[in-house]
Amino acid sequence: MDTQYNTTLETLERLRAESRAAGGEEKKVDQHRKGKLTARERLELLLDSGSFEEFDILKLGRGSSLGEEKSYLGDGVITGHGSIDGREVFVFSQDFTVLGGSLGEAHAQKICKVMDLAVKVGAPIIGLNDSGGARIQEGVDALAAYGEIFHRNVRASGVVPQISCIMGPCAGGAVYSPSITDFVFMVEDSSYMFVTGPSVVKTVTHQDITSEALGGAKVHASRSGVAHFTVHNDVLALREVRRLISYLPSNNRLRAPILDLSDAPDRTDPALDFLIPSNSNQTYDMNVLIHSILDGAEFMEVHAGFARNIICGFGRLGGQTVGLVANQPAVLAGVLDNDASFKAGRFVRFCDAFNIPLISLVDVPGFMPGPDQEHGGIIRHGAKLLYAFTEATVPRISVIIRKAYGGAYLVMNSKHIHCDVNYAWPTAEIAVMGPKGAAEVIHRKEIYSAEDPEAVLNEKMEEYRRTFANPFLAAQRGYIDDVIFPRDTRSHLIRTLQMLDSKKTKGPDRKHGNIPL
Amino acid sequence: MFNKILIANRGEIAIRIIRTCNRLGIGTVAVYSDADSRSLHRHLADEAVHIGESPSQKSYLDIAKIVAAAKATGAQAIHPGYGFLSEKADFAKAIQEAGLVLIGPPAEVIDVMGDKITSKELAKNAGVPVIPGTIEAIKDEKEAIAIAAEIGYPILLKPAAGGGGKGMRIVRKPEDMKDALAASRKETLKAFNDTRVFVERYIEQPRHIEIQVLADSQGHVVHLGERECSIQRRYQKVIEESPSPAVSPELRERMGRAACDLARQAKYVNAGTVEFVMDAQHNFYFLEMNTRLQVEHPVTEMVTGLDLVELQLRIAAGEPLPFDQSGVTFNGWAIEARICAEDPTRGFIPSTGMITRYAAPRGKGIRVDSGVNIGGKIDVYYDSMLAKLICHGKTREDARRMLIEALNGYHIEGVSTNIDFVTSVLCLPEFAEGALTTGFIDQHFDGGVSKRSPSLQYLQLAALAATLIYHTRTVAVRESLLHMVSDIGGKRDLGRMHQYKVRCQEDLFEVALEGTPVSGETCTIRIDGSTHRVEIPTFEFFRRRLKLNINGQNYRFRIRFEESFIFMSFNGISRLFEVYTPKEWEMMRFMPEKADQSLNNILLCPMPGLVVDVLAQKGERVFRGQNLVILESMKMESGVASPVDGVIAEVLVDKGQAVEADEVLIKFELEK
Repeated sequence: MDTQYNTTLETLERLRAESRAAGGEEKKVDQHRKGKLTARERLELLLDSGSFEEFDILKLGRGSSLGEEKSYLGDGVITGHGSIDGREVFVFSQDFTVLGGSLGEAHAQKICKVMDLAVKVGAPIIGLNDSGGARIQEGVDALAAYGEIFHRNVRASGVVPQISCIMGPCAGGAVYSPSITDFVFMVEDSSYMFVTGPSVVKTVTHQDITSEALGGAKVHASRSGVAHFTVHNDVLALREVRRLISYLPSNNRLRAPILDLSDAPDRTDPALDFLIPSNSNQTYDMNVLIHSILDGAEFMEVHAGFARNIICGFGRLGGQTVGLVANQPAVLAGVLDNDASFKAGRFVRFCDAFNIPLISLVDVPGFMPGPDQEHGGIIRHGAKLLYAFTEATVPRISVIIRKAYGGAYLVMNSKHIHCDVNYAWPTAEIAVMGPKGAAEVIHRKEIYSAEDPEAVLNEKMEEYRRTFANPFLAAQRGYIDDVIFPRDTRSHLIRTLQMLDSKKTKGPDRKHGNIPL
Repeated sequence: MFNKILIANRGEIAIRIIRTCNRLGIGTVAVYSDADSRSLHRHLADEAVHIGESPSQKSYLDIAKIVAAAKATGAQAIHPGYGFLSEKADFAKAIQEAGLVLIGPPAEVIDVMGDKITSKELAKNAGVPVIPGTIEAIKDEKEAIAIAAEIGYPILLKPAAGGGGKGMRIVRKPEDMKDALAASRKETLKAFNDTRVFVERYIEQPRHIEIQVLADSQGHVVHLGERECSIQRRYQKVIEESPSPAVSPELRERMGRAACDLARQAKYVNAGTVEFVMDAQHNFYFLEMNTRLQVEHPVTEMVTGLDLVELQLRIAAGEPLPFDQSGVTFNGWAIEARICAEDPTRGFIPSTGMITRYAAPRGKGIRVDSGVNIGGKIDVYYDSMLAKLICHGKTREDARRMLIEALNGYHIEGVSTNIDFVTSVLCLPEFAEGALTTGFIDQHFDGGVSKRSPSLQYLQLAALAATLIYHTRTVAVRESLLHMVSDIGGKRDLGRMHQYKVRCQEDLFEVALEGTPVSGETCTIRIDGSTHRVEIPTFEFFRRRLKLNINGQNYRFRIRFEESFIFMSFNGISRLFEVYTPKEWEMMRFMPEKADQSLNNILLCPMPGLVVDVLAQKGERVFRGQNLVILESMKMESGVASPVDGVIAEVLVDKGQAVEADEVLIKFELEK
């Protein structure tokens, strides 16, 4: 009896060891040589020490229909759950040493299992992607398996935060799972994402391009907007994932944790009174304001390298996580263009889904003019941001810093699309358009018939500036709840967030709205 | 005494003058340019007059506007401060003609002292030693070589006009004379529209010692001892002190007497400074006389207990000096550090922007003469000095330690400053020993970084502080989640020992924290085997300043999170500290070294400014480190060096063009 039991234990031990050995020592060394960690090492860094509970370590790959490939225990992905700073999360980590991390049926079933559990439990899902793509040998089963994952990504969207960390290749259909998730991290120089790789590009379009140039971290972080964060290496990537998680609630029914950074809520910052240059054509750096008002000057910027004319990211006010959307006058004067509208729109919807109050810091001269933008669909894209802000039911506060011109002003979480409370700095200019354009429209005849058109234009501009380039007209009309001293911005925001804490909004019943995607 | 004076200056000196005027009940009128419309000096004065556009030629150097402002406001006298018009005889004349008083010497004296040749003649006549050399401008290199043979190499070629080291050349052998003379003439012509150059003996291992003198209109002259200003970078003083560790009481008396003789000979009135160069044998030679208040006057004020601005005002008002030489006493030691908006890690290029954080040190024996405050804007138009920090102690070592502590606590953000650089100068053992020469910085620093690695003890303290911050911040996140555990589950055991590996460039530290640090309690922290008792403060992460009591002694650190890491500034160390858990550190060995992120096929403009010259053309082969573009910003010309070896593909800027920071100046073709 004992002997048999011992044998069973030994078998278990042997099988577990086999599964842990994965693709073997040689492949592990290879992975390290490429500057990458193994799937298991990554989980060790991501999760609190000793907290990982693994599932399906004994799950066997279904084997190839062609019967040539060996089947592996674990099938090239490690799944389970563990904690990050004491909070439960579900994880899967693809193992490049096993058949190139390729996704077969069993591999996908393991991922689906943890995703289902995550939604049931209400805990974030973190995927560490390092996979050559669909396991071709498994044919349609591999494709079907992707579909199952996509389906679950969509079902989980807005229920639990989903984070993807691309730490190796991610190509073909496989890219769509990360792209549905809320945030994508990419590791510089060792990860890439594309739908069709360089060899296909070469065949179809005869262009020579490297994987890095086609779909590396830098490109996706600056040009395409696919990557929300880029990180130097695996170790730092996993740290950053932990940092992001610290801002988020575990699911859509909870609030984000309150983190006390011992920063006084009524702290004032006299520097802000001097932030806005006396000449309204001069720029300033919106980051100064952001870092000044947030707890501990800590800000986790999302999409830092993409559409830099708008800044989105997480910070805390009075310990509470807030989502910040701010125009950046230092880049393209802070105009809204296609990319900026898309970037901010998606960020706003994430915050709304996860009970994170929204704060907009407005200095927007308008939408970007020109055929590129118009033909690129600025009407459609701008509408996304408009829709996202309008639809959001979380507490919404808006602070007009300087320019608030035309439609772009309305879009940026204005009172008119029902933000809860709006403030203006004394430097605010709320108007249909900038002084030059306005003067030219209103006084067109007078200007052109004048002896010195420029002088008349300047005079009319000045007149317009006097009338509209201040927040007092809007305040008189009740469109602004208060005109505040810049130095006090932080304390106003924190008080208002406290007041809005119990905000409840219920819209009409519907299946879902039809955001202009 | 005057009822109201106008201050024809800006920044810290204007404010410093206002302070004395306020104490004496004298009304003040400030002048300001466009760029200074929100500046501190404007608001601290009783009245302020706008005198023009931002470039100083159109404002602070415009004599007519300044005199008109004084007339219009009813000011009786004008204090020129230093720089700008302070040593312009024309200004003194204009003031006199307008029936006003210049708080400074008569125009004729300014004239004589402003010229290196006439001033040297005057010194000779007063019996003050001067450096062997010509007293007349040389004709050509033949003459120069002949004179050099007489006085001995090495020699220095020195332009008659100007200052700040422009046009100076050291020549060590006759063969080099021709090129050096040509270069010197070219430079001095460009800078001062004057080609007169003279030759003198070059003093090796020189120290810069200057004597403060005061002379009243009744002919009384006293000196207030010496200041040593040997710590200079490119002829710009960085650290000044009084007294000098190289000057004995007997020598002080001799130098003081020489300076007073010179002042008498020149019929000098008001405060002035006689600058000497001193060789290793304590021979001193007259260099020049500055006919104004010096930047570094506070060190003299702190050791003598006098207010030089007050004395200037009294002298200008015709009062006699209230004391004679025997009434001048010296007490303790004072050291001053100049705080400038410049980036030592990038060749000291001027830094512009808004000051987003500002906290100056305070305490007994600490004086801060600052021209800026939070919200202040640092523009390209004026010089980059923001403030002066002066500490006064019983001994030199006292003052040095106080100054280091005070600098550790001096917090300026928004612009780069030289705070860490001056701190590292003060921390060098050679500085502590007083082994100073004007070549000190070149000798001990390379590109703004000390050639000597920082003391291990300092690095350990910084590593300890960085780890404590990192740990506390990490624990805060865990604690934020505790109350939610019923909702979200998870493990909570933190353990008792917390080990970290801390990397700082090539140094690696093992740090272990025992127990959980609780603010108000003491925690034991081990670093590489040595044990430290640390009182845990309340961590206010916003402040980015931390005062830690380690083993009973207080230390101040400046801290900044950079992504996952912590940048520490402490005792001249300004480095990134990477704090890793042991597991992370184990994995770090597989991580590739961070690739150089800089774009290397373009040359970016490092700062806003004006292109003075473009030194390379399309198609030219250039080398890494070679200056390709000369920029002028904040009155300073600086070269922008090539980041690569390569061939120039395109030059995108022209002479005279205004450029912004990060604008592409030049594109390269890289060699494969």
